[in-house]
Amino acid sequence: MANEHEENSSETARDLNRRRFFARLGLGSLSIAAVGTAAFAFQYLQPNVLYEPSPIVNQGKPDRYPLDSVTLDVGAGIYIIHSEEGFFSLSAVCTHLGCLTAWKQELGIIACPCHGSKFFVHADGAHKPGDKIEGPAPRPLPWKRIWLNDDGDLLVDRSTDVPPLARDSFVRI
Amino acid sequence: MAEAKDFVAAIDSNAKKSPRRIVFITRRTSAQVKAETEDQTQSFPEVLFRAAVAIQLLAIALVWISLLFNAPLEGLADPSHTPNPAKAPWYFLGLQEMLHYFPPVVAGVLAPGLVVMALIVIPYFKVNIEAEGLFTKDRLRRLRVFYAVTAPLVIFLGWFHVIVALVPTLIVAGLMLLASQSSAQSSSAFRRYLAARPLSYWVMTWFLFELMVVTATGTFFRGPGWSWVWPWKPY
Amino acid sequence: MAKTADQYFDDLRETRVWRSIFRSGTGSSTLRRALAIQQNVFLHLFSTKVRTRMLSFSATWYLGTLTLGTFFILVATGIPLMLYYHPSVPQAYHDTKDLQFVVSSGLFLRNLHRWSAHAMVFLVFAHMFKVFYRGAYRTPREFNWVIGVILLLITLLLSYTGYLLPWDQLAYWAITVGSNIASAVPLIGDKIHFLLLGGSSVNANALLRFYVLHCMILPLAAIFFVAIHFWRIRKDGGLYAHSSEPAAVRSRSRAKKKEATING
Repeated sequence: MANEHEENSSETARDLNRRRFFARLGLGSLSIAAVGTAAFAFQYLQPNVLYEPSPIVNQGKPDRYPLDSVTLDVGAGIYIIHSEEGFFSLSAVCTHLGCLTAWKQELGIIACPCHGSKFFVHADGAHKPGDKIEGPAPRPLPWKRIWLNDDGDLLVDRSTDVPPLARDSFVRI
Repeated sequence: MAEAKDFVAAIDSNAKKSPRRIVFITRRTSAQVKAETEDQTQSFPEVLFRAAVAIQLLAIALVWISLLFNAPLEGLADPSHTPNPAKAPWYFLGLQEMLHYFPPVVAGVLAPGLVVMALIVIPYFKVNIEAEGLFTKDRLRRLRVFYAVTAPLVIFLGWFHVIVALVPTLIVAGLMLLASQSSAQSSSAFRRYLAARPLSYWVMTWFLFELMVVTATGTFFRGPGWSWVWPWKPY
Repeated sequence: MAKTADQYFDDLRETRVWRSIFRSGTGSSTLRRALAIQQNVFLHLFSTKVRTRMLSFSATWYLGTLTLGTFFILVATGIPLMLYYHPSVPQAYHDTKDLQFVVSSGLFLRNLHRWSAHAMVFLVFAHMFKVFYRGAYRTPREFNWVIGVILLLITLLLSYTGYLLPWDQLAYWAITVGSNIASAVPLIGDKIHFLLLGGSSVNANALLRFYVLHCMILPLAAIFFVAIHFWRIRKDGGLYAHSSEPAAVRSRSRAKKKEATING
């Protein structure tokens, strides 16, 4: 009797061990599958190819822009400014919430129609072109890299910011 | 007791467990059991677990198939160039095969419409609710009806040269004839099985057989111009 | 002794947050297990108990469960596919090409979606024939059978509308041939054809219509009818078990034996 009982209990123990093994196997493989799915999903959600316009835009010959002029290219969202120091480019997208700013010739400033931010265009004392005059914008309008290509056209790389008033931030002719 | 009984009677034979019970069921009705003592399992967690495992195994199988075989993708749609043969998805190839023989009103509208109607009315069609074998009662009259229905169908299919539909029809009809010559007393188990099949079984089996043969034909045996080809010979 | 996964799960089910969400607590008593089903908005469609006999593989071949499984896979793969797909001509084709060659795992997702769709159509047919041969459409389950037929049609339409979306030669001509069958309907055939395609031939309007049907209308209809389908299984007395039907239905020979018992 006792022997039989012992045998039974050891069988039960084996049974339990086997169940635990399979439970672990199942849960383990499920977790691996879940982690893998999450990783592949993250990869899937990032597009490998973008069908967006190039960040580099051609702005034509420099002589299109007279001295002391501020020209807004609405499509590209940049200003081309011909100042005494040379040509430079400012982003036209307000740093507050992304509205397209406008050039106010009569005031000589750039103003945002959405929340009233205003920016300098001409250096004024300690203020550099692009700096904020007033309004909620958190940062000055960034300067964009500008250069001449071999055909003599002005090119602007909208994805690259350059330091204001730096030597390389201007195109001089 | 000159009249036939209008009920079936059966006895619950497990007298040790429960008091003897006799059930009377009026003919042409179906009995519904209101309470029963059968073993039951809690859905949580046992049944849910089994369902989850079944779905997981299916998912694993489908993932493997997807890793090994690519879904077809041909050239950009070109309305000025019809590929030959232009095939519908596989589950409609039976329909397309029928359209090869009959005008669209018959094969494309009437036939599928009737199939769907037939499927819907099946459970409301309360003939033979006891599910007796087709030829167990009234054998001669039923054989006459069987011939009256089958012969025109066979002639019709033969007339239009619908060999792919004719062959399954003939096979099922042959089995039904065998069933009519069999009874519960037949010596072979297969014939006893056939003898016990009710009408609905024969109709559905005929339909299933036709569906499989016609779909397989459209999928594997049809090539350019809907001509007969062998799947192992490239065209 | 280290805790097992079961115990961790029980601990989790005991927390206030879990109970506030699922309304059922821990414990393995029959009551607790019944509540776990009955108190859950999705699971309460099912009955709390199932006849043990119906759990065997031969009883159902799990065809209904597997069909539900393919539906889950199709939803889970279909939604990510929508993120890279524009239903316009010919952009749809280029998007499909991109999924094939550019998007990470896009090829795999499309394969899985397509093969699962074929599997679902096959499983729905198999489920229907299995139910028929078991006689599970009998009273009181007639209407659930009818819902099943509706779900079969929805499945075919889902697969058919999805067939057009890659906008390749295969898709274009399969839909052209298929939609011309609709024109054969007497009297109103041409009108149906025109409404289905949103024009007189398969073009950009047809693609957009099929897209809306495939991604919105038909899946919602399927979910609606599937919910009724499951709920009716419970209301109609659970999965159909043979012996709950009259003895005469089971098999002729057994009924004969019983009649003999009565007569003798």
